[in-house]
This record gives sequence, C-alpha cells and structure tokens, in this order.
Amino acid sequence: MSRQPSLTQSMSGLHTWTGLVLGWLLFAIFLTGTLAVFDRELNWWMQPELQDRQVDQASAVQVAQRWLEANHPAASAWNIGLPTARDPSLSVSAGEQRRGQRTLIDAESGEQITPRETAGGSFFFRFHYTLHMPRFLGIWVVGFAAMAMLVAIISGIIIHKKIFKDFFTFRPGKGQRSWLDGHNASAVLLLPFHLMITYTGLVIFFLIYMPAATDALYNGDRDALLRELRPGAQQQQGAARGGEGGRPSREVPAASAAMLPLEQFIALGEAHYGAGMLSSLSVAQPGRVNARVEVRPLLGSRLELTKGEALAFNAITGELLRAPPPTRTSLLVQKVMAGLHFAQFGGYPMRWLYFLCGLVSSAMIASGLVLYTVKRRRQSAAQGVWLRQVEWLNLACVGGLMLACVALLWANRLLPADLAEREGWELRVFFGAWLAALLHARLRAPLRGWLEQLAASAVLLLGLPLLDLQTALAVPDRIRLGVDLTGFGLGALLALAAWKVSKRPAATARAARRAPAVMAEVQS
Amino acid sequence: MSKLVSRGGAVWPNALARILFAVLGGYVFTYSLTAALARLLPLARIDAAISATLLSFAVYTVFVLWVFARPLRQALWALPVTLVLLLIGFGPQWFAGGEV
Repeated sequence: MSRQPSLTQSMSGLHTWTGLVLGWLLFAIFLTGTLAVFDRELNWWMQPELQDRQVDQASAVQVAQRWLEANHPAASAWNIGLPTARDPSLSVSAGEQRRGQRTLIDAESGEQITPRETAGGSFFFRFHYTLHMPRFLGIWVVGFAAMAMLVAIISGIIIHKKIFKDFFTFRPGKGQRSWLDGHNASAVLLLPFHLMITYTGLVIFFLIYMPAATDALYNGDRDALLRELRPGAQQQQGAARGGEGGRPSREVPAASAAMLPLEQFIALGEAHYGAGMLSSLSVAQPGRVNARVEVRPLLGSRLELTKGEALAFNAITGELLRAPPPTRTSLLVQKVMAGLHFAQFGGYPMRWLYFLCGLVSSAMIASGLVLYTVKRRRQSAAQGVWLRQVEWLNLACVGGLMLACVALLWANRLLPADLAEREGWELRVFFGAWLAALLHARLRAPLRGWLEQLAASAVLLLGLPLLDLQTALAVPDRIRLGVDLTGFGLGALLALAAWKVSKRPAATARAARRAPAVMAEVQS
Repeated sequence: MSKLVSRGGAVWPNALARILFAVLGGYVFTYSLTAALARLLPLARIDAAISATLLSFAVYTVFVLWVFARPLRQALWALPVTLVLLLIGFGPQWFAGGEV
C-alpha cells in the first residue's frame, strides 16, 4: 500500500478521474440542458406550419370555445392551451386526457392545423434528464453524474489554491497553460452557477434519489408524504373527479345553464397571476349548472416552480371556488430550488442568462476533458494507447453531440413533412449523426478530426437561417428568427474554434507523427 | 492518482476499494444520516423529512471527499457511525412494530 498522498494530491486525482469518467456524460447533460432553455422556441421552429397570429388570449379563448362548442358540445371537459409569448399556438382538447390528443387550431380562423410530427425541442429537455433511456433508469444515471459533478466542483475548488488570482490569469497561445487557464476561468467565473445548477438539479427528484426520510417517517409510503404536503389536495382532486367524469354526473347530466363568456376568466386569472402569465384554461361540465373553470399559470409566473397549480371558478357566476393554498416553507424551499433550475421565471433576459451560463458550463467541461489529453501527451509517451482512446472519445462526445443536435434541426426540415413515424426518423438522424461522428473520431487523427467535426457543425449552423427561409412556409416570425440568428451565432463561434484548430502548428510533433502529412494540408 | 495507469496492479485494488467505499458506502451513510436527521429535527414531521432530504446531497458530497482525503482505515469509522444513525432513524420502527 502506498503512502497516503497529500490533500491536494488526492483531491487532484479525484477531480481528474471523476471529471474524465463522467465528463462525457456531463457534457451531454449540460449541452442538452442548455438547449432545453429554449425548448418551446425550438418546438415552434420545428413546426413551421404554425403561425403566430398575434392575437391576445381573450380572443383566442373565444375562437377555441367556438371550435369546442361545434365539435364537442357534450364533452365532460374542455381544455384550452393558450397562446403565450414563447409558444403562440392555440390548442384544444375535449374529455379528460390532459396530455393526450391535442388539436391545434388557427388562433384567428379557428381552422384545424395539422403540423408535422417532430421530436421538437422537447427532445433536448427529455434527453437532459433521461439520456433517452427508460425514464427511471435515466433519472438515476443523470443523478449519479450530477453527484459526480458536485464532487468534481468541490475537489476542484480545493486543488485551486489561488482561486482569486487565477481568475485574472489567462495566458493565451501557450498550449497546456492556456487550456488550464481557460478551464479555470470558466470554472471560477461561473462557480455559483455551476454549484447552483447541479445542486438544484438533484433537488428536483430529491425524494426519488434519497428516500431515507420517507422510509423512516412514512414507512416508505411516498404518497402518504405527498398527501401530508397538501392536506386539501386529495379532497379537491376527489371532488374534481366526481364533478368532471364521476358516475353520477355521467348518468344524469346536470341541467344546462348559460356560462359566463370564457374570456372573462382570462381577466380574472390575470388579476391573480399577472398579465401574460396564464398558460391554459379548462372547463369541467361545460354548459351545465355545475360547470367549473380552471385557469392555470405559466410555470414561470414566479420563482417557485408552480406545477399543476390552478385557480378554480364557478363558470356560471364567476365566483372563485378555490385559490391555490400557499406552499409550506420547507416545500417552498424545494420548489424555489427546482424553479431556479427550470429557469422559467424572469422572462427572456433570464432565459438568455441561463443559456449563456449553460454554454460556459459546457465549455468548461469540454475544456477539462481536452486538458486531460493535452497534459498527458506532454507527460509521457508511454500512455499512447490509453491517451488515444480518451482523445477519440472526447471528440465523439463533444464534437459528435454538437453535430447530432444540429443534424436534428436539419432533419426536421428536410425529411418529408408527412412521413410516417416522422419523430422516430428525426431521432434516427440524431443518433445516426452521432454514431457517424463516433466512427469518424475513431478513424481520424485527433486534430484533424476536431477540425472536421467543428467545421461540419459550424457549416450546418451557419446555414440554419438559409434552411429556414428555404423550407418554411411563411416569412420567419420573431421566434423563428431568434432561433435562426442564435444558430448562426453559435455557428460563427464553432467556425472560429475550427479556424483556431487549423492554425495549430501541427499541434505537437507527436500528433504529426501519428498522422503524417495531415496537418500540412490543413487550411483554414 | 495519475500514477494509477502506469504503475498498474498494486494500486488498483486499493483505488477500487476506495471508490466502492465512497460511492456505495457514501450512499448508505447519507441514507442513514438523512433518516436520523429527519427523526431528530425539531420540526413538523413533513418539514423534517423535506429539510433532511434537501441536505442529503451535500452530506454525500462531503463524505466522498472525506473518503478520498483520508487513509482508507480511518474511513472505516463511518461503519459504526452509520449503525448508530440507522438505529436513530429506524429504531422506533424496528422496535415498535412499525408504529411511527
């Protein structure tokens, strides 16, 4: 057994190995999480059949009500997804399925629209916390990676003695020094963000990850714990179920009655949540004496993550039946932490801040991964085989995933709009592109491989506005234009990175030896 | 640690033991501490459960760092401590026939 190394040494080893082994996974989690900041906008971009009619929610509700009265007059419930700033589509459904079939209708004419099927920006959101694995397994794997991230962050702080001084240190163009400085600067600069986003990510599924308190105090019955959180919730749910679709009301429908115009409830809801803060409206037993209207806020109506919250009104009199009870303090802490992670509050400025921070986080992880190979390459030539494996895995996980994400956007526009199982084909392109990048990374010399994959992603991103103009049915609206320009900007960044790679003077002699004459022909 | 690869054989069993102790042992330790804390916090039952669980990720992190910072022999101290914590957390259940 060897002598116990010093604290800095052991922490350095811990940082290096957790960072390396889970860095690949963490990069995927952070990059898709960053893209998921704009998931709705990407959804909108990926369904160009939809058009922003610029109507306010009150008139959209009237359109939706007319459609529902014409098509589902006897339904037990109506659900209306309201157009919002991030998602100007109007959707309707009848019956109780909350997540089931939604019908999209034109917010002006009320005509039914059938947009293309797409994985959408929602794919990035789901991938971010499940890695496209079965949900439960994915949540655990991502949770494990997040714990490793916490360990890597804290051990990174411990080995970083001159944390303040190094923050102002950047020595560009000096190979390993520059990579180290870049990794340190991006890590230190956004240290609060890295810590916050990692810890709050774990907190979202806290009872799943750590069921100890549930096991000890509630005999492992999580439902009992949840019931105790909202004492009123269970009865209300029961009542709602009875009212919406319970047997008595289905056998003998209540007498019909005239409801207040639904747009009035928009005003009532906005009085409580604020203007533009509503996301949906539903009516139970529409047109009956026991009709009820529920108005739901956007997730980001405040810092707390308000999932499943609603105001309930009597649809005939407009009387407020139920306001959401204030959350108890301990749960509020959890929900605010979850809200900090979801970044639904604060509108677009906050969204952009999270997006940029997420990009820096992803870059920090990627630079750490590259730093490992740069450092080892200088230290010894004996680790050649191992180093080569790390090098191509780095490229496949970092460069390959970026390429796959852009490929998904291109596939969305280039695959035929009426293709059967279209969503599946988009994902096949995503994973196919990733696999191709993996093989490419395996076969190419490292620098050459980086150059080619960065350039490929850059070209696809720079071409995004052109693709949009060529394939969209109308002039790009505010949201699509935003996606186009953001893609173009990111493409420019990647092109810059590719140009930097191409300027490397054959990197090191060793790299050149491994791939003779490769670097000589590299042009910017 | 960076010598792990080059030196080979002799270092790996030790490192592997440490990793397993940190990851699995760390989870069991955190689990026990969370249960005990939920029992001991002078709050309403539901608030104690949530507060203890929210803290658990910090506990796990510190435990992992501690295992890697100290000689492995010292880390074995976590075993009796875990037993005590488990007794605090689950004792009432085990010895009172599931009554909470």
